Amino acid sequence: MLRLFLFFIAFLPILNASAGEPVRVVVTTNSLGMLVNEIAQPLVEQRQLELKVLASPGRDVHYLDARPSFMAAVRRADLLIDTGAGLEEGWLPAITANAANPDINSGQPGRLSLAASLQLRPSITTTGPHAGHVHRHGNPHFNIDPLRMAKAARLVARRLGHFFPDQKALLIKRSYHLEQALKQTAEYLSEQLIPGQRFIAYHEDVDYLEAWLPVQNIGYLEPLPGLPPTSKHLRELVEKHQQQEPARVLYARFNPDQGARFLNERLGWPTYALPLEPETPDWNGYKELLQVWANAFEQKS
Amino acid sequence: MIKKSVQKSLLALAVGVASGSAVAADHGNSDVDVSIILEGLFYNELSSGTSSPEGFGDSGHDHDHDHGDEGHQHGFEEGFGIGHSELAIDAGLGALLDGRLLLGFDDSDVAVEEAWVKTRSLPAGFQLKFGKFLSDIGYANSRHNHSWDFADRPLVNQYLFGDHGLQDVGLQGTWQLPTENYALLGVELLQGQGNTFDAYAEQEDVLEEQDSGPRVVTAFMKYGPDLGADHAVQLGLSGGYANQYVGGYDKHFHGTEPHTTAQIGSSWFAGVDGVYKYSSGKAYGEGDLRITSEYFYVARDLAQYSGDYHEEDGDYHLEGAIKGDSYTEEQDGFYVEGVYGVLPRWQVGLRAEALGLINEKWGGGHDTELDSLDASYKYSGQITWRPVEPVFLRTQFNHKDFAGDDGSSNEVVLQLNVALGAHGAHNF
Repeated sequence: MLRLFLFFIAFLPILNASAGEPVRVVVTTNSLGMLVNEIAQPLVEQRQLELKVLASPGRDVHYLDARPSFMAAVRRADLLIDTGAGLEEGWLPAITANAANPDINSGQPGRLSLAASLQLRPSITTTGPHAGHVHRHGNPHFNIDPLRMAKAARLVARRLGHFFPDQKALLIKRSYHLEQALKQTAEYLSEQLIPGQRFIAYHEDVDYLEAWLPVQNIGYLEPLPGLPPTSKHLRELVEKHQQQEPARVLYARFNPDQGARFLNERLGWPTYALPLEPETPDWNGYKELLQVWANAFEQKS
Repeated sequence: MIKKSVQKSLLALAVGVASGSAVAADHGNSDVDVSIILEGLFYNELSSGTSSPEGFGDSGHDHDHDHGDEGHQHGFEEGFGIGHSELAIDAGLGALLDGRLLLGFDDSDVAVEEAWVKTRSLPAGFQLKFGKFLSDIGYANSRHNHSWDFADRPLVNQYLFGDHGLQDVGLQGTWQLPTENYALLGVELLQGQGNTFDAYAEQEDVLEEQDSGPRVVTAFMKYGPDLGADHAVQLGLSGGYANQYVGGYDKHFHGTEPHTTAQIGSSWFAGVDGVYKYSSGKAYGEGDLRITSEYFYVARDLAQYSGDYHEEDGDYHLEGAIKGDSYTEEQDGFYVEGVYGVLPRWQVGLRAEALGLINEKWGGGHDTELDSLDASYKYSGQITWRPVEPVFLRTQFNHKDFAGDDGSSNEVVLQLNVALGAHGAHNF
C-alpha cells in the first residue's frame, strides 16, 4: 500500500506557472491593494500583474474566516502582502500553513508583512491589561495614517521590483509620486481642521488619526481592545468627561453603535460611523476615505 | 527524535509561561505557540432511555477505551465533569515544517491526540503530513470539540469512526490544484490502530494474524468556489478502506468442546460533506449563519471464521480457523446542523441526526443472518454565549430517540470552554 502511495505522489503532474503568466499579487485589504494598484498601474493594465484582495471592505479584518477562496488565491500567489503585527492573526496563518505555496512563507521574497518594517503606534495591550490578544509589535491599523502608508508604498515598490527587475526604476518613481500625493493630501486635510479637537474611539484603530490630523484621542469605548463596551466602562467615560470640553465619538461601521449612542445621550457628543477601508483598492477610493475621516471633525470656516 | 522534540517543546512551554502572557499570546518571531483549552461540563439526564443506538455497540456513555492509555473521558457523566481539555503546542521549523503536539486530558488521564509535522516547503501545491493526526475525511472529523457548534460529536462520526473520529498514525499527502476555485485532493495511509472503522479484536488465540500495516487507506477531495464577500461554501467527498476488520470475537463451549468464532474481513466507507457560511459583516458574529451536513456509509465484507481446540498438557490450543459464510454489514449516518448569530456574541443552533437509516448488522451466534435494525435519531438545540472571543458558555438540550428497548431520552449539557494562550487560527 505504501509503495502505491509513493507511486501516486511521484507521478502526479507537476504544474508550474508557465512563462507569460501574470505575476499574481494577493493582498489582505483594499488599502494595501491601493498601494499595489497605484505603484504598478502600467503593469496591471498590461496584465503583467494580477491583483487579488482577500478581505472585502467593510469587514473587520480581525475576524475573517479562513475561506477556501482565500486558500485558492494564496496557493497561486507569487507575492502575498499582509498588514502584519497580528491584524490578520485569526485567519491568515491557517491559510498560509495549508495553501501549499512555499513562495509565500515568511522570509521569502514572495511575502511582505508591512508592519514589520514600519514604526507603529504602541498598542495599549502591551502596557495595560488585555483580553488575550496582545499586539506586541504595536497597533496594526496603520492604513488609517497616510504618512505611514507613504512609507509602506516605498516598501511595496521595492518588493514589486524584485518581480519586475526591468521595471524597478518605474516602480520606485511611481511610489515616490504616490508618497507625495499621500503626504500632500494629508497636509491639506489637516490644515482644514480646527486644531485641538478631541475624540473617543471605539477600538484602537482610528486613534491613528492623531498621527496626521491635529486631533487628540482621549479614550476608547472598549474597556480592553477586543472586548465590547461594558455599561460600567461607558459610565466611567461619562463621569470622567462630563465636566470637560465636548468631544466626538468615532467608531468603525461594523462596530455596534450602542456605546457611541450612550455617550451621545449623556454628553451630547456627536458620533461618526466611519469606514476603515476604501471601497475600491485605488487612489481615488483611498483619497475619498481620507476626506471622510477628516469630515468627522470640524472644519475651519 | 520525537522524544527530544517533545522535551524541547516542553522546555519552550516553560519559557513561554515564565516570560508571561505577552510572549505567549503573540506569534511574533517566536517559533512556538502554546495554548490550553479548558472545559467544564455539567450533564444531567432529564429522562433516561436507550443509551446506545441499536446495532452500534457500546460506544458513547461512560465507555472505557479498549486501546490502552487513552482512557480519558469523551462521553458525558452525570453532574460536573472536566470534559475534554487540551494542551496544544504548535511550532515551526522555519519555513520548512509546521509541527503540532496536542494532548487531550481529563482529571486522571492524558493522551497524545495529535503529534505531527506538516511540510510547507514542497513545490507545486503538495503537502505531506506525518505522525498521529485527525483524518481530513468529512468535516467534523478533523476538528476539535472546542470548535464544534455542539457539545458532543455528531453520532455518525462517533459511531462509524470512534470517540476520537478517525484518528491514527500515518502519512497524509495532499495536492491543492492551481485552480481559481479551491480544490484539494488528499490520500492518507493510516496504521489502523483499532478505531471503530478498522476494529481488531486481539486475543490470545487469534484466528488470523494482524497485518503489519498500514491497514487503512483514505482519499478525500474538497472543493470551494469563490462566492463573494457574504457567502462561502466547501464541499467534500471522501472514502476509505480498511483491509482488516475483526469483530464479534467469541470463545464458547459446545458441551465440553471449546470453540471460537470471529467475524473477519474488510471494511470500506464513502461520504459526502458540505458547509455553508453566511457572513453578515456585523460585529461579534451577529447575523452570521453556518450550516453543516455530512453523510457517511460504511460496509463491512465479513466472513464467519470458527476454530476448534484440542487439549494438550491441560491447556487448550487452537486447531486452525475455518472460513464460513460471507456476508456484508451496512450502516450509515447523517446530520445537518445550523447555527445563527441572533445577537452580538449570542448563537443558537439546531441539529438533527439519523444513524442507521441503513442498518444491516450481523445478528450474532453461528448464523450469518443479518438483522435489519431500526434507525436511531437525535435532535439537539443549543444556545451559546461568548462574553469574550476565547470563552464560551453553552447550554444544549438533546432528545435521543435511539432504536432499542428503553425508549427515548432527554438530556441537558452545560459547557464552559476557555482558550488560553496563543490559540492558532482555525481552518474553514
